[in-house]
Amino acid sequence: MAAFSFRGVSKTMSKTFDRYASIAFLLIGLLFVIESTKIASSAYGSTVGPKIFPLWLGVILILLSLRLLYETFTYKSESASKEKLQYKKFLIILVSAALYAFLLEKLGYVISTFLFLLVTFQTMERGRIISTIIIAAVFSFGIYYFFAEFLGGSLPGFPL
Amino acid sequence: MSTLQFLGDGFAIAFQWHNLLFAFIGVVIGTAVGVLPGIGPMSGVALLIPVTATITSGMPTSAAAASSIILLAGVYYGAMYGGSTTSILLNTPGESSSVVTTLDGYQMARQGRAGAALAISAIGSFCAGIVSLIGLVLLAEPLSNVAIKFGPAEYFSLMLLGLAAVSGLAGKSMTKALMMTVFGLMLGTIGIDAVSGIARFTYNQPILFSGLEFLTIAVGLFALGEVFKTVLERDNEEGTIAKINRILPTKQDMKDSAVPIVRGSLLGFFIGVLPGAGATLASFFSYMTEKKFSKRPETFGHGNIAGVAGPESANNAASGGAMIPLLTLGIPGSGTTAILMGALIMYNIQPGPLLFDEHPEVAWGLIASMFIGNLMLLVLNMPLVRVFAKVIQTPKKYLLPIIVAISFFGVYAVQYTTFDLYLLLGCGVVGYLLSKNDYPVAPLVLALVLGPMIENNMRRALTISNGDFGIFFTKPLSLVFIIAAAAWLLIPLLLKMRGKAVIVEDEG
Repeated sequence: MAAFSFRGVSKTMSKTFDRYASIAFLLIGLLFVIESTKIASSAYGSTVGPKIFPLWLGVILILLSLRLLYETFTYKSESASKEKLQYKKFLIILVSAALYAFLLEKLGYVISTFLFLLVTFQTMERGRIISTIIIAAVFSFGIYYFFAEFLGGSLPGFPL
Repeated sequence: MSTLQFLGDGFAIAFQWHNLLFAFIGVVIGTAVGVLPGIGPMSGVALLIPVTATITSGMPTSAAAASSIILLAGVYYGAMYGGSTTSILLNTPGESSSVVTTLDGYQMARQGRAGAALAISAIGSFCAGIVSLIGLVLLAEPLSNVAIKFGPAEYFSLMLLGLAAVSGLAGKSMTKALMMTVFGLMLGTIGIDAVSGIARFTYNQPILFSGLEFLTIAVGLFALGEVFKTVLERDNEEGTIAKINRILPTKQDMKDSAVPIVRGSLLGFFIGVLPGAGATLASFFSYMTEKKFSKRPETFGHGNIAGVAGPESANNAASGGAMIPLLTLGIPGSGTTAILMGALIMYNIQPGPLLFDEHPEVAWGLIASMFIGNLMLLVLNMPLVRVFAKVIQTPKKYLLPIIVAISFFGVYAVQYTTFDLYLLLGCGVVGYLLSKNDYPVAPLVLALVLGPMIENNMRRALTISNGDFGIFFTKPLSLVFIIAAAAWLLIPLLLKMRGKAVIVEDEG
């Protein structure tokens, strides 16, 4: 939620990230250029085939990435403020979200959502087991019954 | 039929009981979205699309689209009301468009005038909403009459202008903003090409044939990106919430803020109509204007009510003004309107000049519902301001996992594939990394929505001209749009070279 900031005033951009990002986008642009030349050009309908637009975009992205790469060499200083990031919490939540996606169709919506919420609530803050169980249960059952039973939407309910 | 008659029909649609309910749900959720610092209007609207899609699934397409868009637009302008609450009570803006409100609003709260500040921002928002709606009603017909004469060349150049405007104003680095725009356009080319039927970048994966779903990408980039940010950078600033004593503003307060409200509404409306410039810029400019016109500019920053009334009116008027290019030209000028447009396209309804002819019930129903929604917000916000202030205290440990769960539900309920869930998570991580490093994600979403339309119009124009690119420069209107697009990009660069500070529009 950084509000309006002033161009030129703030120089806290991360040099390392920008460098890697510019190289990554350069490669993406390159990939697009190479791959779009492989698209079959259609003889039918149009003088401009399906390959032109992505090809140009690839070229423009390559040019912009080079420009960004050049800009990173003009940054005055590396960002000084190193805040402590909570990697452990983030990783647990990310992994449990990936597991949630993996198990959603296998265990059904209610059980997988309940487990996901229980794990992540406890990850955010340990303790108060009973209230987290209640909230997780109310959410997973509530959404399922409201959506699948009441509104007639389709969700994998329970394991078959 | 005359405009008034259409408006009357619109009200007939908006007054259907389920649409009243939809508008009500929309503005209540919108206010909550505005109050909660984690979710902005963009992710709020994106998250509700699947819910509205399901609720309206039994209705005929056109009525379903009208009802959904009524709810979703309610979230958008409702968030503008809610954003002021945290600015005033906590000194923490709920939305970036309410940042300037903290300057005088929080000072007023410290002086025990929190109630007056909240009330005046609700009243200002209401007046602004009405002003922008009148503007919308007056401009809709003439603008769509002009736009209907546009050919593919004009459309291509106009969309280019939209993208240029958003990229020119977003973020600190224009290079990065342009990269995001181009990347969004590229993502939009994945899938089966609509003109030739040839699969592009799909690598024989059937899941990619229909392209990447914009909803998944928008929710991932905005909602999950914001969740991951909060998890990683847990900010412990638990500010104390100011007490609300008396809600109704005094007569003197009303007198002091009447003119700023009118000025803010007009200014905000016109800024909102411009593509790229949105609520944040509008509120900022309004604050500057009020300070300039004030007889006692030194009182600004020390609890001057004009510093709350002006900007709060302006950001609401801007959200109304932003609907104009969306509805009449079919070109969204901001991230949130891009998502609204994506929602309409999901119902197979193409916003643009033909919308008013083909689906008058959607266009006019929405406009009429915005009148009603603004009235609801005024009625809701005055007595319920204490309740919404309580929403701020929702503990993050429950809020964040639930946002993840709602995102999963929303994406899965529309797409029915696990692939989209993994894509969602991936976009969340990418969204966090990008916005943390000043790569604006709003242009990416806008480009993703506009991409296929830009390409199709470009190819149609080139087919007409037999592959001659001169068509974009020889058609006078198209040339004007291209010059304007170039100006949007070049003027900030020139200003920067002269060492001037440029304000940036930031949407969350």
